[in-house]
Order: sequence, then C-alpha cells, then structure tokens
Amino acid sequence: MTVEQPQPVAKTQVDVPLVDGAAAQRGQLLRWSLTAGLMLLAAGAIFYDTFASGAGLPYLLQRFQTFVTIFLGIFIEAVPFLLAGSVVSGLIAVFVDEAMLDRYLPKQPLLGAMAGGGMGLLFPVCECGVVPVVRRLYEKGLPVSIGAAFLLAAPVINPIVILSTYSAFGWGPVLWGRLFFSFVIAVTVGFLFSRAQPEEVLLPAVNACHHDACCTVHDRAPGAPKALLPARFTQAFNFAGDDFLDMVRYLIVGCMIAASMQTLLPQSALLAVGQGPVISVLVMLGLAFLLSICSTVDAFLALAFTSTFTTGSIVSFLVFGPMVDIKSTIMFLGVFKRRAVGYLILLPLLLSLLVGIWWNLNLGM
Amino acid sequence: MQGPRFQLALKALLLLGLALFLYTRLAGGTLFFYINERFAAYTMLAIVGLILVGVSYRPLGRKQTTLDGSPVAIDDIVDHNHDQGHGHDHALTLSGALLILLPMVLGVLVPPQPLGAAALANREVNVTMQGSALPAAVRAAADKNAVDKNVLDWLNTFAGTPDPVRTFAGQPATVVGFVFRDARFAENQFMVTRFVVSCCVADANVAGMVVRWPAAATLPADQWVTVSGVLEAGALGDQPVPVLAAQRVEPVDVPQHPYLYP
Repeated sequence: MTVEQPQPVAKTQVDVPLVDGAAAQRGQLLRWSLTAGLMLLAAGAIFYDTFASGAGLPYLLQRFQTFVTIFLGIFIEAVPFLLAGSVVSGLIAVFVDEAMLDRYLPKQPLLGAMAGGGMGLLFPVCECGVVPVVRRLYEKGLPVSIGAAFLLAAPVINPIVILSTYSAFGWGPVLWGRLFFSFVIAVTVGFLFSRAQPEEVLLPAVNACHHDACCTVHDRAPGAPKALLPARFTQAFNFAGDDFLDMVRYLIVGCMIAASMQTLLPQSALLAVGQGPVISVLVMLGLAFLLSICSTVDAFLALAFTSTFTTGSIVSFLVFGPMVDIKSTIMFLGVFKRRAVGYLILLPLLLSLLVGIWWNLNLGM
Repeated sequence: MQGPRFQLALKALLLLGLALFLYTRLAGGTLFFYINERFAAYTMLAIVGLILVGVSYRPLGRKQTTLDGSPVAIDDIVDHNHDQGHGHDHALTLSGALLILLPMVLGVLVPPQPLGAAALANREVNVTMQGSALPAAVRAAADKNAVDKNVLDWLNTFAGTPDPVRTFAGQPATVVGFVFRDARFAENQFMVTRFVVSCCVADANVAGMVVRWPAAATLPADQWVTVSGVLEAGALGDQPVPVLAAQRVEPVDVPQHPYLYP
C-alpha cells in the first residue's frame, strides 16, 4: 500500500476547484509551489520521525493507519452536518425569495451585522453546515456583512454549543466570555465587510447570482400557477445534492490536511512551548486552527487544558476555533475570493489574540 | 464528464455510494472506531438523507416536472441556470468525482482500526488529569463501584481527591485498555490506555493508568488487556502517581467500543 502518506494531501490540493477564471492562472504557480513546499515538509517530518524512532517501515504503516482513521473520523463526523446544511440551503433556494430577505433584515450595516451574529440562534448549524447555507443566502442577495457575521458567529451562538459549553464550564466567566467575544468579533468582522463590494469578496459564480438572483427557480411570472409541493421538494433536494457534492470536495481536502497535521505535528511539543500571558494564547490559537474539531465539543477538549493553560488562552481557543480552522478555511474557498478568506482568518485571529491577552492581563490567568 | 444524463447518474451514484459506505461502517460496527457513540444517530440520519437526496435525481429517462407542472428535458435540470450566462457550474469534473470517491476508497482499502499506540507518539499523555475534569463526571465516577470503574472513571476519581496517590492505595481495580509505554516507564511498568473521544477521533484525548507487572516487558504495544490488581502509591519516573499493581493481566480482543466517552 501507499507508504508516502502525505501524497494524497498534496495531490488533492491541486484539485481544489477554485473557480477563478483569470486568477487561476496567476495562482497556478503559487499553488504548485505551496504543494511542493507542503510535500517537502511532510516528507521531512516523516523521514525525521522514522529515523528518530528507529522503527522503519512498520512504523510508517502505523502512521498511515492513524492518518486514515483520523481523516475518516473527521469526515464521517462532518457529513451529517454538511448534509443538513445543504438541505437547508436547498430549501432556502426553493422556498425563500429575495424579497423576504429584504423585508426582514436591517439595512443599516452595523445592525445588519448584529442580526447576522444572532442568526445562529434561529439556524442551529455548526461550522460545516453553515457554509452551504451562507453561500445560498449570498446567492439570494444577502448583504456580505450579514453573511460574514453569520458565518463566524453561528458555530458558537447557537443553542447546542451554548449547552455543551455550559456543561463543561458551568455558568462561569468562560461561557459568558466565549459568547460575548464571539459575537463581538463576528459583528466587527461583518461590519468591516460591509465596506467592501460584493464582487471584491465573493467568488464570481456566487456573486453573479447575488446580483440577478438567477439561481432561484422562482423566476415564474407573477400569477403563474405554483408548482406542486412534491415537485418543489424534489427541486430543493436536487439543489441540496448539488450543494453537498460541491462543498464535500472542500471538506475532504480540509479533512486530509487536518488529519496530516494531527498525525505529523507533535502536539506535546506545541503544548510544551507555552506559558505566559501571550505565548499561551498563541499556542492555543494554533491548536484551535490545527485540530479542526467540531464546535459542539471543543469545550470538553478545552477543559483538559484548563489546568495547564491560562484562562485567556482557553477563551481565545473557544472563540477562534469555531470561526476558523483548517477544515472551514478550505470550505470558505468555495464561497469567497482568496483575499477575503485571508481577511476571514486574520481578523478573527488578531481579535481573538487581543481578547486572550487582555483577559490574561486584566482578569487574571 | 459531459452529457446531462451521465452527470445525473454520476451525482446520484456518488450520493448513494456514500450512503452505502456509511452503512457498511454502521453495520460492521467499525463506526465507533471513528466517532463517539452519541453521534451514531446523526450518521443514521445522514444515510437516510443521502439516499433521499440521491434518489431525488430520479432514475434516468423519467420525466421531471417544472414548477408550473409541465415536463422538462433532462438538459434543463442539469443546466438549470446556465442560460443566464454566468459561470456557476454544478457539473462534476473527473477530478472532483475522484476526490469525492477518496474517503470511500481509503475506507475500503485500508482495514479499519481504532487509534492505537502509534497515535500517542505526538499527543499529550495524561496520567493524572490534574483537577480539570468535568465536575459532573467526577461525581458520577465517585458513585461507581470500584470494580465497575474504567480508566477514565479512575482518573476522574483521582481528580476529585486532593491526594489521590495515597487515598486510594489498597483499593481493588479491574480495567481494560491497550498497552503503551515510552521512555518514562520502568522495565516492569506499562500504561493501560484508552482514548477518550467526545466527538470524533480528531479530538481524542489519552487516559491511562500506570500498571506494575513483573512481565510487563513481554506485552507488545497496542495489545489489548484486562488488568486486575490493587492500587498502590507509586511513581512514573519522578512523578508520584497512583499505580495499579497487577495480579492478573489477560490479553483480550479489541472491544466493540474501543474509545471511552466523557
């Protein structure tokens, strides 16, 4: 069987369907060099590992087995939630029209971003399911700012995650800090996105629909007979299937990278780096990004770190992890332009870092 | 990858194939090598959902109706929005289809195995759980009989006590886990180890108890064992920890649920 474990990662990266016409050519070189760099790094890590342990081939095979188990673990765990998101997206495509969005959502950017930040309470979706929903809403003409705030906040500001954080930490400062700062950061990023034009942020395909809302199947003349309900559901399910097959490719690439990271990076080394009010926050942010675990359970994992890590770093882990991780970053690439994805990672990262450091310095570690 | 009929069939087959793949994991019992038992219900729902969505593409040749009830050609279903002249392409490319097949191919070609000692090499190994356990779990663990406690229950019990090393000396314990050891372990020691999985294996934590057993060196890593013995105040390297002094160590098969759930 395959021994060179990182190869699939590298290969599939090239396959990521970044549907940018002109930018694709420019990005080709970058993508290849990134791929080559990743492969070299992974090969180096494996090489070092094999020699350090002195175990040779069986060891490599075990590592590959571990990689496959973690990859399939994240994938199997995420599929139901991605499917649920896709079905919601399909239903929105058929049953919601733009006029409804216009009517109920605030026009003012800050209010809009706040509404987006709170929408997770109505649509309890996690970070896998939220992506197809947001993409569909964008195609329906949702303002960019509301969508960005929803995308970042929904994985935390929803009943299920609030409950799991409560059961891990109780009604303590960690729970309130997590909710408050997630909301604030999501709204801030959403508000900043309201300054951008949709065509600067969204992929051309998503943006085209954004304008003429042509992806709807609602373009019947007013007064034309409504279709039979079963036909509309079939239509919604077709949309759901298309969406799922579209997003699942990004999910698979994200899972592969996350699983390779988990297999190759020494977690204990990362954890050993870090105490101190600043370093500990950086370490936990890095861990949140690399682990790519589901927001519904990250509180339980964070609990294991409370004795060895500062409270500020725990809060920043709980705030940042659900917003951005490897898996969701790759999935963002199916909705946003690369530069916008960069902002969607960097802004929450910087803000969570500030929150964590501020917490450590002012509220105690 | 051209042809609307081919595209429809391909999409339906991929969705149904994924449903079948998940079903084989569920039916074969290996689903719990990947995720927490609590999430099995979602996997079942996903199987049903994938079948529904896959079937919604309809068997080829049957007529679909548009929203106003009139029949449409298959080309219109596939290209439902291409006339509008933008590049939103729902058609699957060859590489896209292969990528979607990848988890299924890996799942079929690589025999399923739970995480083992190899996965521990780059993880934080927890032998004490210093006061960071779930309060509810600590209480629940304290209520269990000593003989019913698993590795995680014991660690939670230790976490609920100020001086676990001495408090529990003399108590009998029987636990199941796989064998792991690293440089910190003495010749006659090994760790009886379980992974603790809250959601999926990506969040796996390690829980283990140090076991003292004269023939420890004869046990290969990853071997699943049942250990019965008595707790004593011992040490792992310089760190004082409760140690299970084994009276009996029996090799066993990999349990149906290899992971513990917090």
